[in-house]
Amino acid sequence: MQIAEPLQLAIDELSKLPSIGKKSALRLALHLLKSDKENVDNLVNAISDLKTKIQFCKNCFNISVDDLCSVCENPKRDRSMICVVEEASDIISIEKTNEYRGLYHVLGGVLSPLSGKSADNLNINELVKRVEKGSIKEIIIATNPDTEGETTSLYIFKLLKPFNLKVTRLARGLPIGGDLEFADDATIGRAVLGRIELL
Amino acid sequence: MFLDKIELINFRLHKHTNLNFSENLNYIVGGNGQGKTTILEGIYYLCTTRNINQASDSDVVMFGENYFEINGVFKDLTQNKLKINFSLEANKKYLYLDNKQFYRASSVIGKFPVVTLTQSDHAITLGSPAERRKFIDSVIAQSSEVYLKTLIDYNKTLRQRSSLLSQIKESGNRSLLTQLDAWTDALVEAGTELVKRRKVFIEKFNEFIRESYFKVMENKEVPHIEYSFLDEDDPDKIGDVYKQAIAEMREQELRRATNLVGPHRDDFIFRINDNELKKFGSQGQHKTFQIALRFGEFFFLKEVLNKTPIFLMDDVFGELDVYRASKISRYLKEIGQAFITITDFSNLDYLHRSEDDYKLIVENGSVKYD
Repeated sequence: MQIAEPLQLAIDELSKLPSIGKKSALRLALHLLKSDKENVDNLVNAISDLKTKIQFCKNCFNISVDDLCSVCENPKRDRSMICVVEEASDIISIEKTNEYRGLYHVLGGVLSPLSGKSADNLNINELVKRVEKGSIKEIIIATNPDTEGETTSLYIFKLLKPFNLKVTRLARGLPIGGDLEFADDATIGRAVLGRIELL
Repeated sequence: MFLDKIELINFRLHKHTNLNFSENLNYIVGGNGQGKTTILEGIYYLCTTRNINQASDSDVVMFGENYFEINGVFKDLTQNKLKINFSLEANKKYLYLDNKQFYRASSVIGKFPVVTLTQSDHAITLGSPAERRKFIDSVIAQSSEVYLKTLIDYNKTLRQRSSLLSQIKESGNRSLLTQLDAWTDALVEAGTELVKRRKVFIEKFNEFIRESYFKVMENKEVPHIEYSFLDEDDPDKIGDVYKQAIAEMREQELRRATNLVGPHRDDFIFRINDNELKKFGSQGQHKTFQIALRFGEFFFLKEVLNKTPIFLMDDVFGELDVYRASKISRYLKEIGQAFITITDFSNLDYLHRSEDDYKLIVENGSVKYD
């Protein structure tokens, strides 16, 4: 069947989004077609505002409305600590915990020669520059515990060594409230190796 | 644990075959190309959801049909029903454990352990070091998920590092060297872990090999697997020795843009009475060593997994002299459940058979009991 061209166009664009296939795209497009004009306009505006109103924080590369993001601008944050993350979405995960009061630094990826990512493509030099300013006492590296994340943390550690700071790495181990029974062997194995002294 | 029943539908030559098995030995007898090995293939599918020879699933579908299906019942303290259905049209395998669909092979791996002894084992003793690494890695990985993850990590690091080495070679950009150091550290960390675990394993596995070899050859010959990494025996020093070796090779690695040092280049030297098997072994010694490796694997897994694997033995007797064959057949009694294909039973009188063994005669995809 021939699909009306504007509809086909909408389906094609929607199906470019991650985890949306042709069928879901068709369902979304038909849903939008049936919705009130106001709802559709709101969606369109929200999407276009993403590109016009959002930028990356000049200091830490977090997602931001202004030059500086809400974390960097907040006077109550501890300015002697930087938590280094791969993507801005990781900040959201850590912020949700309410356990961390320091600043962030978004790398924008990890070292991966196979996909052409080297240190120059990441915001690593910018991190060193922030450290050079001198007020930083501790760096927490919170890259993912996979091959690339671990190597990136090793690399950053090497770069920061001359500055004589405290450099830490997120602990890895068992999920809270999780059952030992259901954790995979590798995680339990790591947790045993990284056990903590109680007495 | 043992496999009680299997049903093969549209599975190569088997249009619809229903089989009951003995808890002990199951001899599968028939001429070439009649569908003996196919039964082993089906059993292997049930245990691992994969093909025994890494053939593609679509090759297994009976000619002219559009799916195959395998049903099996494993018995232990409890009973487990397994079903594998492959649709040619969707090119997809559907897996069910006790009528409940599952999607990842890893949900059953280790649940129904299986050890195979086939003709392709020749490669382990006769082939390149890579074949020996593959064998050793597969045995350790079956007993330790941490080892498997470390191995995957290590291989990924190798690929990343060699890609970076090529980039440095092509661009001549020496500023990338600090990044190379980070990849080197990551490689040494995972690699050291692999080496340490391989060392511990080989030490233990040697006992199993000696025992298995002894059962076949009595004490006429003593087998041994030798493994050393950069000639360092002290596990605490491996990391340092590794680091130093890789530092010494740095210029050469940069020139050739390859990873030149590490457990991915390890070899395991098989010896009989201190003579290197690969150089001095006779055909019979090679075969006996291959058999000892698989029996060793069987008893090793049985001990560490606390579960008795199923043993699949494809056309091994034909290659052995009467003395060895008779010993092995006696040894099989200690195994538990085993499936043994044989081309011709008539002149195999030396096999030790007992009442509760089954003999299945396969002819052109149909099976009779004898």
